[in-house]
Amino acid sequence: MKKNNRFLTIGISVVAAAALVLAGTTPSNAAGKKLSSIRIAVVIKGLDNPYFVSVKQGIIDTAKKLGVVANVQAAPGLNDDIGQANKLDALAGQNYDCYIVIPITSNNLSQGLGKVTKAGKPIINIDSPVDPASLKAAGGKITSFAGTDNTAAGKAGGVSMLKLIGSGKKIGLIAGLAGNVTSNARIAGFEAGAAGSTFVGPVNADWDTTKALDAANAMLVANPDIAAFFAANDQMAQGVAKAVAAAGKKIPVYGVDGLMDNLNLIKAGSVTASISQYPYVMGKMGVEACVVLAQGGKVPAWTITPYGVIDSSNVDAALKSGNQTPPGGYKDPYAPLIKK
Amino acid sequence: MKLSPKSSTSSAQAGEVETSTLNKVRLATKDPFFWSNWIVVIAFILVVLVFGALKPHSFLTMYNLNNILVASSIPAIIVVGQTFAVATAGIDLSISSIMTFGAVVYGIAFTNGSSWWVAGIAGTIAGTLCGFLNGLIIAKRKISDFIVTLGMLSVAAGFALVISNGVPRQIVSNSLSNLAIGGFGGIPYLMVIAFVITVAAHFFLFNTRFGTHILATGGDPDAARSMGVNIDLVKIVVYSISGTLAGFAAMLTISRIGAAEPAANTSLLLNSVAAVVLGGVSLFGGRGTIFGPFVATLLLQALTNGLTVVGVAAYYQYVSIGLVVILSAALVRTK
Repeated sequence: MKKNNRFLTIGISVVAAAALVLAGTTPSNAAGKKLSSIRIAVVIKGLDNPYFVSVKQGIIDTAKKLGVVANVQAAPGLNDDIGQANKLDALAGQNYDCYIVIPITSNNLSQGLGKVTKAGKPIINIDSPVDPASLKAAGGKITSFAGTDNTAAGKAGGVSMLKLIGSGKKIGLIAGLAGNVTSNARIAGFEAGAAGSTFVGPVNADWDTTKALDAANAMLVANPDIAAFFAANDQMAQGVAKAVAAAGKKIPVYGVDGLMDNLNLIKAGSVTASISQYPYVMGKMGVEACVVLAQGGKVPAWTITPYGVIDSSNVDAALKSGNQTPPGGYKDPYAPLIKK
Repeated sequence: MKLSPKSSTSSAQAGEVETSTLNKVRLATKDPFFWSNWIVVIAFILVVLVFGALKPHSFLTMYNLNNILVASSIPAIIVVGQTFAVATAGIDLSISSIMTFGAVVYGIAFTNGSSWWVAGIAGTIAGTLCGFLNGLIIAKRKISDFIVTLGMLSVAAGFALVISNGVPRQIVSNSLSNLAIGGFGGIPYLMVIAFVITVAAHFFLFNTRFGTHILATGGDPDAARSMGVNIDLVKIVVYSISGTLAGFAAMLTISRIGAAEPAANTSLLLNSVAAVVLGGVSLFGGRGTIFGPFVATLLLQALTNGLTVVGVAAYYQYVSIGLVVILSAALVRTK
């Protein structure tokens, strides 16, 4: 009896594994110029952050629209830099026309990218840049980068906040993970944009809502005269907003990313503004760049993706459109290069 | 029972031998330990066959098998330490952050002018110290392994951030990255290293007096103590081994990703516990194998690799890996 159960369980596990396997695609060895024969491999960061879910959506929607195939893989877990490298390694040897990557750290994918370049395949790097020195050491080459300028986005937030509270006030700063490049750039940009203010912090809250709540509480206790908060991402801004409300204050709270959750909070009034970046557009541009290259075209080496401040004045339009693309339109250098 | 050898070789006797062998197999399959030892091997072969059949031209290539071996090697080294801890009825929850701490020490030594291998020794010793502390506190203060290593998980991660100031350090060394890229007769260096460590650990656990003491400590600590086993020493040695391997694995990680990162990678910890259980090591201590968890590590990596190669969407990968862990553990489970 026991033995039979075991065989049954083996059977179930095999079926379960097989059932989860989606329909495969037929590889074509010919340098596919036809849209339907273009295959793109994508390795992005963990999908436990809505930001990267939005990148993924941009990739999938665009691939569907253009009729190309995209295999989107994500890092298996938070900070799993090796797990992400394993995924790229697994895809690097296959017959894809182009690779799109967002590395967890600036170095962790370099060796895998070296293999991709050696196989003669183009690489589109979106969102977070790969470190050029380690990439060069591994023999890799990025064909095109499309991402935001985090310093400029932070600066736009600083300028907008100064208009709201005036200069010479105290502003609390909540940063992401200690040493994180994106967080540092956003904070530094904000400080430049809000020059003339006194800054408290930055305190690292590791991109985490709860940690940001605790940090903002502590900052408010120590500095009751804080006139506004800037958090380096939206999830932390939500935590800060809770702390501000709990302290019975009504002071501006700014975040970065433009997540839908936060836009709802902006509409409700608990968060003041978010400097929206458009991860959906990054994913879209990544696919478009890949398609252009697979068709034998050329792409610009560096593209800055759009950003913009979303506050009560334009939040309705952003909410209505799903905030996947900027309300005022944007420049896409890749789309016109695609041959239909 | 062994067959009595007879001089004549009639066909009837040949038949008898056959049925007896079959009988032996049948008996073996009724032994629960047979299943806990071999199910993971069968599961591994099944995974390779399923993905091999689905994607013969991309999964079953030398290139991709090489990928699986490289991906398995660092977890395989970590899992050896975890196996030792679990064999004494303990658990080491701190390995991933000890590894981070070792990596940061490596980074500091390297950027201050040490050669790649001197820095490796520094990182390894840093790991040994953390593990030694784990063992010392567990043995001398009689606190549960779970609590002490949970504390160390946070302490080591914190110290990694403190001494690195939270900043990753780039490690550009050709010798070191060759370690990750190169191989020996088609087998990647990293896997050669992992395999040597695994074989040494097997020998240590099953062919030395101290190894027997480790298993005795896990099986029944009171009985072991009354037999004269120095349980405190066993705990200290076991956790020192685990810490040392984590510190050493830090160097191999740096060889792959080219930087000493201060952020801990908790997937390694979770995978190591899963591999230990799948490999047929009893979480209650006293019984275990070294090769079981090794094959389980290969299984988990082959599964992740296969799902990626086939193009299963990321969300379903979490589900399928979790299912395989639970189902295999259900199979491995013995009374």
